[in-house]
Amino acid sequence: MAPGLWSDRISSLAETLKSRQMKSGGWAYFDSVQESLEATCLAELALAPERQASSSAAILFLLKSQLSDGGWPAFLGDSEGSWTTAIALCTLNSTGDFTAAREKAFRWLYAERGREGHWFWRWKFKTSDRNVRFDPDKYGWPWVTGSASWVIPTAFSIIAIEQFTVCNRSEESEKRIHLGVEMLLDRACVDGGWNSGNSLVYGVPLRPHVEATAIALLALQDEQRTEMVQKSLSWLRQYAASVDSVSSLAWCILTLFVYQEPIGGLRNRLATIIGNGRDIRNNATLATAILALKCGEMIHPFEVLR
Amino acid sequence: MKLDRRRFLGSSVGVAAAAGVTTEWVWPKHTVSYRRPLSAVAVLNAAEYSESIEALLLDGLGLFRLPVLGRSVLLKPNLVEDLPGPVNTNSALIGAAARCFLRLGAARVVIGEGPGHQRDTELVVQAAGLKPHLAERQIEFVDLNRDELRKVKLKANYSGLGELWLPSAVLESDFVVSMPKVKTHHWAGVTLSLKNMFGVVPGMKYGWPKNLLHWSGIHESILDICASVPIHFVIADGITAMEGNGPLQGSTRQLGKIVLADDPVAADATCARLMGFDPLRVRHLSEGGRFLGNLREDRIRMLAEDVGAPTRPFSVLPEFRYLLAVKS
Repeated sequence: MAPGLWSDRISSLAETLKSRQMKSGGWAYFDSVQESLEATCLAELALAPERQASSSAAILFLLKSQLSDGGWPAFLGDSEGSWTTAIALCTLNSTGDFTAAREKAFRWLYAERGREGHWFWRWKFKTSDRNVRFDPDKYGWPWVTGSASWVIPTAFSIIAIEQFTVCNRSEESEKRIHLGVEMLLDRACVDGGWNSGNSLVYGVPLRPHVEATAIALLALQDEQRTEMVQKSLSWLRQYAASVDSVSSLAWCILTLFVYQEPIGGLRNRLATIIGNGRDIRNNATLATAILALKCGEMIHPFEVLR
Repeated sequence: MKLDRRRFLGSSVGVAAAAGVTTEWVWPKHTVSYRRPLSAVAVLNAAEYSESIEALLLDGLGLFRLPVLGRSVLLKPNLVEDLPGPVNTNSALIGAAARCFLRLGAARVVIGEGPGHQRDTELVVQAAGLKPHLAERQIEFVDLNRDELRKVKLKANYSGLGELWLPSAVLESDFVVSMPKVKTHHWAGVTLSLKNMFGVVPGMKYGWPKNLLHWSGIHESILDICASVPIHFVIADGITAMEGNGPLQGSTRQLGKIVLADDPVAADATCARLMGFDPLRVRHLSEGGRFLGNLREDRIRMLAEDVGAPTRPFSVLPEFRYLLAVKS
């Protein structure tokens, strides 16, 4: 696609996304009155370069919806912090501002852990509950407080903490990042890639999921390119060549770009599939697609800059 | 009276049973009961997913008096992953059901699902081959993982969860049809119409998978969800089923049946019998038989053919051998 047409396409998609912003400054996933934190963060990241962060209604919405303990709920109306806290921190990290809100979010993430983080459950998984193969000493972050660690919330939390502490790494943050990375590596699928959080159940290997694999690889961007990372990258590259789902393809592009893999053909295919974007009803998906199409033209929101 | 060991044991059991009944009476585990004097089940023979399935299904639905005229119907299939094999409810059956309910006068038919593992719902819908059926009659699909949510106080208290956030699309529908794939399940033993309702619990709040439900007890969570979101009808896809290490990695089992029922417990009990299992040994079924529907065969009226024993029971993981019915 010619450069002019390309920027026209992105502008038109951004207009569609903007037209769906709610009065509160947030976005719902679909056409509803309930703001989703994931959709809001991804939309703000996708539109951010075109406006001043300090005056962005979405940023003001984010600051207002932060809970007193520093976490963010999954959607407005809920009073419990959730996995979206990591994405909200990434979003505020991209502004480089709002230090107090980011510090509170970091504290919340630091305290949050999968249920295996408790000695009793570690002991149970080691001694009696062995149908799922994993090392319970290596834990990360849950989707919601009270459940086990899973790949996507762990990966987003690692990225958010790495970004936030990039200039002031402490022993505590390093330790927590290391534990999360260890958990991701422990739970990788046998032939590379990641499922939701388990690799073997009743001795049978699980198949990787594209989004979990892409986001886990983003979290491992600073780590050594071990054989497992290479195998996972290779799986993602192959999968990206054939997937037709907008969200999955967009996450493939965002990750392959960070690993300096060629993405031109994939971006063209995404642009063709997405068309004018009006049929993409899920705002989180539309925002992710815009981010993928803009790869290389803006600071990658999930890259850890050193 | 001399208290010997036998009398002592007998008395202890009696006291324990009385205490259980009293506890249940003082602190009931459920505040609703959907059990009726008699439930109806129809087992239809269908060798394959062909174009004739719609006519077969329409005839089968005609055996029931379904109050769907002018009402909104939610079809809740079991769409889990973009995997090959009999993992998901077959799209031909889902499409046929949607068209049948429209023909029966439903004002609106919505297909809703919140896949439990795969976050990209579009990918699952594509892989399941559902898109052409949606386009054909402009049937709406709702991603229950990301729908608008409302907090609901649960009408049973087995899990201790107390309340759950649930999707508006489910709470606002007049008539909920659970459309499970008949499968074994490596945590719950079986996954049928009751277990299928895990899919109404939103991933955006509880994650992928909905792991909090596992920590609160799978059987307990099933009972609480189904007490709070009543299932009005069941269309179980047992044409090609799954045995062994289900619900994702099991083996294909050709069963050749569609099970229709106006009661989810009766439906699941019938499916369990077709699988060669004793429904009383499935915990959520035996307990669900107390208030969610009828489990006993004498409370189930068979509208079409009787449930014959399978030529061989469904294979199960060693942990679930206790499910197998004892041959009489």
